[in-house]
Amino acid sequence: MNLSVLIPILAGYILILSGLAYYGYKKTRTEADYLIAGGNVNPIVMALSYGATFISSSSLIGFGGVSAMNGFGLLWLAFLNIALGIFVAFAVFGKRIRKLSVKLNVFTLPSLLGARYESKFITVFSGIMIFVFMPAYTSIVLVGGGRFLQETLGFNYNMSLFILAIFVGFYVISGGLKAVMYSDAFAALVMLSMMILFLVVTYQAVGGITAGHTALSNMKDLVPEDLVEQGHRGWTSMPALGSPMWWTLVSTLIMGVGIGVLAQPQLAMRSMTVKSAKDLNRSVLVGGIFIFFMTGAIYMIGPLSNIIFQDTRGELALTVAGGNVDLVVPILINEMMPDWFVYLFTLTALSAVISTISSLMHVQATSFSEDIFKTLGITSVFGGKISLVRFGVIIGVVAAVILAYILPGGVIAQATSFWFGICAAGFLPVLIGALFWEKGSRAGANASVVTGFAVSIIGFLFFHEKESAAFGISEALFGKGALLGYPVTHIDPIMYALPLSAIVFVVISLWTYKKQGHSVKAANQQEIAK
Amino acid sequence: MLGMEDYVVALAWLATVLSAVGCVLYGIFTWNKGGSDS
Repeated sequence: MNLSVLIPILAGYILILSGLAYYGYKKTRTEADYLIAGGNVNPIVMALSYGATFISSSSLIGFGGVSAMNGFGLLWLAFLNIALGIFVAFAVFGKRIRKLSVKLNVFTLPSLLGARYESKFITVFSGIMIFVFMPAYTSIVLVGGGRFLQETLGFNYNMSLFILAIFVGFYVISGGLKAVMYSDAFAALVMLSMMILFLVVTYQAVGGITAGHTALSNMKDLVPEDLVEQGHRGWTSMPALGSPMWWTLVSTLIMGVGIGVLAQPQLAMRSMTVKSAKDLNRSVLVGGIFIFFMTGAIYMIGPLSNIIFQDTRGELALTVAGGNVDLVVPILINEMMPDWFVYLFTLTALSAVISTISSLMHVQATSFSEDIFKTLGITSVFGGKISLVRFGVIIGVVAAVILAYILPGGVIAQATSFWFGICAAGFLPVLIGALFWEKGSRAGANASVVTGFAVSIIGFLFFHEKESAAFGISEALFGKGALLGYPVTHIDPIMYALPLSAIVFVVISLWTYKKQGHSVKAANQQEIAK
Repeated sequence: MLGMEDYVVALAWLATVLSAVGCVLYGIFTWNKGGSDS
């Protein structure tokens, strides 16, 4: 890595991002501009920005390494990312979210739920959940960026962390969602061009699709013994049904992350930023292509890297990386790709980090100002010298940096699962209810949100071994890493918290729906949303 | 000899590619549909 080449590239890149953020700042005049980018964003910019927010560096580097170990089975997650994360999110949910948010005049997911169910509790409780737990996710994305700069460029880790956090915080404060979306869209274009090239070169290196897949199938006997015991059946087979590896693949990776995307507040609110259902149709096209070349491509590249490493070094990807899956993709790039690609891939990883953090900080801040304080009737702090939402960004930046030092190392995957899981269990039933079911009642929605968050958080802290062991709270309180034995230790809490939250929502809604007397209004809103 | 678990994975690869193609076709065929109401 030649720094005299990289530094000018990096400086040019930062300059372009700053220019776009400044453009966003100049275009931000009203509250709606700051919160939902004015509600008239170009659908292509929206889809690219959504994609760049969706994909962080851990989805490329971390999950790429996981797929090198697990094999092509992870492609079910890529399928869900496209089918649910793009098509259903825009064409089905997005259209109704957009209409309902315009009708109810709201700018955030918690406010949308609160207005639909006429429940201030939901708005404030959801806002608090986002403001308390999202910084953990933000901070591990930040840690991913800091580690990446440290490992590939030899930058000082502490310095990288601070500079990243302050740079992103600064443009979120100044330009709001417009600055976030313009810079995201640019980041997405960098990511897209690099990943298309990466996928094409990888398939060329293994002799094409059929030859590559056949070669990988023939490597079945090379699977290390300890992985075979976990259920590994080769890179072109699913793990043995019911084995630890199968449970992890199906419940955490595929279900947890695949379904969790629909209930991510920073993603669900993106549909509010375009001006019509037609724009959402157009977004599907761009979003589908983008996500295919992100998660689809990296889950193809990961397993195929085993063939390449076997040819060049006579070892498997996991062995080459010394057992650390996070190193598979960086080593593959250094070995297989030309020098200039290595520099530009550095920008890709950095783009993925920055674009994800900026949206998270924006949503945290809007939860702080719109969902919590404004709902409670507080509209200014410090005598109005700084707006509430910008104060929320500052708190978010500080919290993310502090948490980056508090959270145990190596929990990027666990913290991602945790955040996606609690959002799915807490938000998904009531969001679907708000959009599609007129009998959803305030009491049912309140109970469902509390049940979903409580059960999933308890599940992650005390029962699902990957997270409970990493967070260490179960160990500290009860002296053991997880309270129950296998298979509960390997079943992601989303598998029971989400159904439970949905059942609570439906049962209590049906029971209280008639009593509340606000169902007529809700039914009217349903008509509007159709 | 291909077992069930091999087909499940081959299907995953195909589903990923086809879902992306589906998104492109959906976008093309609905490019001007859905109303431009605000």
